[in-house]
Amino acid sequence: MGNTVTVLMRKAPYGSVYTAEGFRSMMGIGVFEMDISVLFVDDGVYALVKGQNPEALDMKPLGDGFPMLPEFGVTKFYVHDRSLSERGLTPDNLVMDVEIVDDAGAARIMEASGIVLPF
Amino acid sequence: MLYTINKSPLMFGNLKSVLRIAPEGEPVLLYEDGVYAAAAGAASEELARQTLARHPVYALQADLEARGLTSPIEGIRAVGYDGFVELVEQHHVVPWL
Repeated sequence: MGNTVTVLMRKAPYGSVYTAEGFRSMMGIGVFEMDISVLFVDDGVYALVKGQNPEALDMKPLGDGFPMLPEFGVTKFYVHDRSLSERGLTPDNLVMDVEIVDDAGAARIMEASGIVLPF
Repeated sequence: MLYTINKSPLMFGNLKSVLRIAPEGEPVLLYEDGVYAAAAGAASEELARQTLARHPVYALQADLEARGLTSPIEGIRAVGYDGFVELVEQHHVVPWL
């Protein structure tokens, strides 16, 4: 296990605070120049879907923030392929370029990290 | 009775159990993460179609828009907050949390 952090995103946005809090953590970890990977699995992939408009909920569009994270030193984004396809989505539906990983690839990312932070 | 569902169909069994228990013809309202059941092409689409075959299905417009679900599965009726209130006035509510 290396000295890196994997932020594991498994929840859909808006239904809970997890996506927003996960995003906040990514910024914080990035600013402190720690090695960080972000992995989207299950409903977590919905956080990256294009076209979110939560104006009627009086909330901020959560998807828009992720493409700005590289400016904070967060550059490694991974999306679990099966989680995406089960939801009828492809990489074209996402707000940014990410690396698509299979089951074993997702496990390897977490194994390579010292810490997995779940959201 | 109006069955209301706010959980994602691929993470929780709420819609599946409503489908088992709700008598045919009773309305089902999807809101919050429940609206993901309206996503076309998802692994839950068959479940949504089974629900539509037995129940009128509504989805809260604000929650669809927030999640980028601009074209819900055909037959699912998008409603605003006013439609939500109307449904609640017309039916006893079973909140399937």
